[in-house]
Amino acid sequence: MFNGINTSASALTSQRLRMDVVSSNMANADSTRGRLVDGEWQPYRRKMVVMEPNNTFKNHLDRARNEKAGSGVKVSRIVEDQTPFKQVFQPEHPDADDAGFVQLPNVDPLKEVVDMMSATRSYEANVTALDAHKNMLLKALEIGR
Amino acid sequence: MNLFNNSTNQLLHSALNASMTRQNTISNNIANVDTPSYKAKKTVFSHELKSAMNKPDFDAHRTDSRHLSFREAGSSGVEIQKRTNTAYNHNGNNVDIDLEMTEMAKNQIYYNTLIDRMNGRFNSIQTVIGQGR
Repeated sequence: MFNGINTSASALTSQRLRMDVVSSNMANADSTRGRLVDGEWQPYRRKMVVMEPNNTFKNHLDRARNEKAGSGVKVSRIVEDQTPFKQVFQPEHPDADDAGFVQLPNVDPLKEVVDMMSATRSYEANVTALDAHKNMLLKALEIGR
Repeated sequence: MNLFNNSTNQLLHSALNASMTRQNTISNNIANVDTPSYKAKKTVFSHELKSAMNKPDFDAHRTDSRHLSFREAGSSGVEIQKRTNTAYNHNGNNVDIDLEMTEMAKNQIYYNTLIDRMNGRFNSIQTVIGQGR
């Protein structure tokens, strides 16, 4: 009965997580000490969310029987962007290498903003869907009133 | 005379179920709007498909009665198909959010209409029971 609502709820959770990851990326746009590798500081790596449909065995069986609409979305994992770090010449920086270059995170604020907009819009669309479903259920309660 | 189990009520009943299934499908499409390689689904009335499904070249037979049947429509008379005739996004996802939102709006109105008709029928019965008062 509440399948549709659960579907929308899973999407809201996922989109909110995407938003959290964007926040984390933006906040760490200048973090030069993200991780300690072999005694050397590596800058923060941009993180990305990987989403996939919420597929259980039950879903596959239902799909074979052509009965269910599916049950939403889930975040399967958070991966790190492997693009190279930015190099900035800043000899006075404590994390500068021998040549005076500092490695900065591979966070591109533009990408993050685009991602943030996308997450916001998707969130709104899902709220609308949730609201619609809720109204349908409430309307069904009016049968025979 | 069959007061409650007549064909109109059954039709309304299955239409309401279909509408709810459609809502679930649309919710799921909207939920997966950012999922790579997700293919949008749509809910169709299986009555429309019946004639196509019954063509002889579409035939397959089960070797065991316990196997899943090949053309089993959903119990509520609806069928869920994958939308394949639309352009793909760069990540293989083909959810058209504008289409989904309009479909949802249509479905809402449709559902409300069905509820309205259902109420109309019950009200008629109530009028009869109340001897027209």
